[in-house]
Amino acid sequence: MNNSQFKWLLRWYPRAWQARYGDELVALMEDTYAAGKIPLQGRLGIIRSGISEHLAELGIRPDGGDPNEQVRSGALLILGSWALFVIAGAGFAKFTEHWDAATPPADRWLPAGAYDLVQWSAGIAAAILLVGAMASLPSFARFLSDGGWRQIRRSFVRAAIVTATTASLTLGIVIWAHHIGPQQRNGGSWSYLGAGMVWVLLIVATILTCTTATVSTARRLELSPRVVRLEGALALLLTLAMVAIAAGTLVWWSAVATASPQFFSGSQMSGLFGTPASPIMIVVEFLIIGGLTMAASGAGRVARSIRSTSTR
Amino acid sequence: MARRHASDLGLGRTNEPGVLILTSLASGAKHGYALTQDIETFAGVKLGPGTLYGAITRLEERGLIEPMEERERRRPYQITAAGRAALTAAVREMRHISDEGAERLGLIMHLGSAIAIVNISATYASRTVRWSR
Repeated sequence: MNNSQFKWLLRWYPRAWQARYGDELVALMEDTYAAGKIPLQGRLGIIRSGISEHLAELGIRPDGGDPNEQVRSGALLILGSWALFVIAGAGFAKFTEHWDAATPPADRWLPAGAYDLVQWSAGIAAAILLVGAMASLPSFARFLSDGGWRQIRRSFVRAAIVTATTASLTLGIVIWAHHIGPQQRNGGSWSYLGAGMVWVLLIVATILTCTTATVSTARRLELSPRVVRLEGALALLLTLAMVAIAAGTLVWWSAVATASPQFFSGSQMSGLFGTPASPIMIVVEFLIIGGLTMAASGAGRVARSIRSTSTR
Repeated sequence: MARRHASDLGLGRTNEPGVLILTSLASGAKHGYALTQDIETFAGVKLGPGTLYGAITRLEERGLIEPMEERERRRPYQITAAGRAALTAAVREMRHISDEGAERLGLIMHLGSAIAIVNISATYASRTVRWSR
């Protein structure tokens, strides 16, 4: 393996890390693998380590040691996992449009209750995020006045560009939708469908870049132990809201599948093999379970360390 | 005062790369390749470049090791005073676990018995010497 391939592996690391340790790591790879090819296990180890450094840069990697940092990184992991819930929530909201019209009134109480649970939990989660943002606002102001903008400018500019692009495309699609018929809007026009797909991808990119900018900023703030404890407690509450949302979507899905299976036989909602296993709902639940797994990991870290934070 | 654990110093479990690197650096500064060779010799663990530099990054962030002047792209690292304190805590923790394990396995009792035998023998010998005078 030649030097250029070593340098290719180095690309898995964040730029700042490459600037500090890149030459040393390449020299070590040259010394270690001078005789032949770098084994697969070695390559995977470097890739895993590079991803881990990216997570460390975002502040969501388990760093060990200081309980304050453990609580903060756990809370940020939960915040990151919330992004997956927002994407899943957008899909769930679109998918469940008009479900009640397709369900007999006598059978609506259970899916309606589950749907309300999802909506209420999402509202509570939004309130929790707002309180968390308010609590860290003074630290954010200090961070900016100390010249911190330079550190977060790149991620904020990226998020702003993606958000502006999404907003422009949204406006364009809305105008376009008013000039075409319902049949074209519902799968009859390939170009409209393609634009819709790009729009969905941009929505996902917007959520992810905004979350990255938020997490990247939050990890740089100097927070007092009291605020860290508050953020940790809020993150635990957010996890509970996420559990409620996950339960609500599953109950809604199974209740509607039982009461009105015909709901899943629409064109864009078709279940696989004539069952209620709709691809959209499968993706939604996949994102929710992924997010919940991340959040549970973060919540465990917060719960283990929050006591130590309060006693020191 | 509460017992200070190695994990409080960000070292994690005592068999983790951070502890191995600090142990290696305790005998003198080394660069990456020399570290992997030394660790393989004394611990039988072969750390890959990714794992080694991940641990070096964390140790340097915590001020447990510090870089020295680079020589031909190979930068040696040395342990700091904080690093020695962290390693001391880790070694004590390992020794505590080792002592506990030995005691539960009955190994300490054997050692204790041996010490007791030596003490009794020494007492008997000194008395014999005294009596013989």
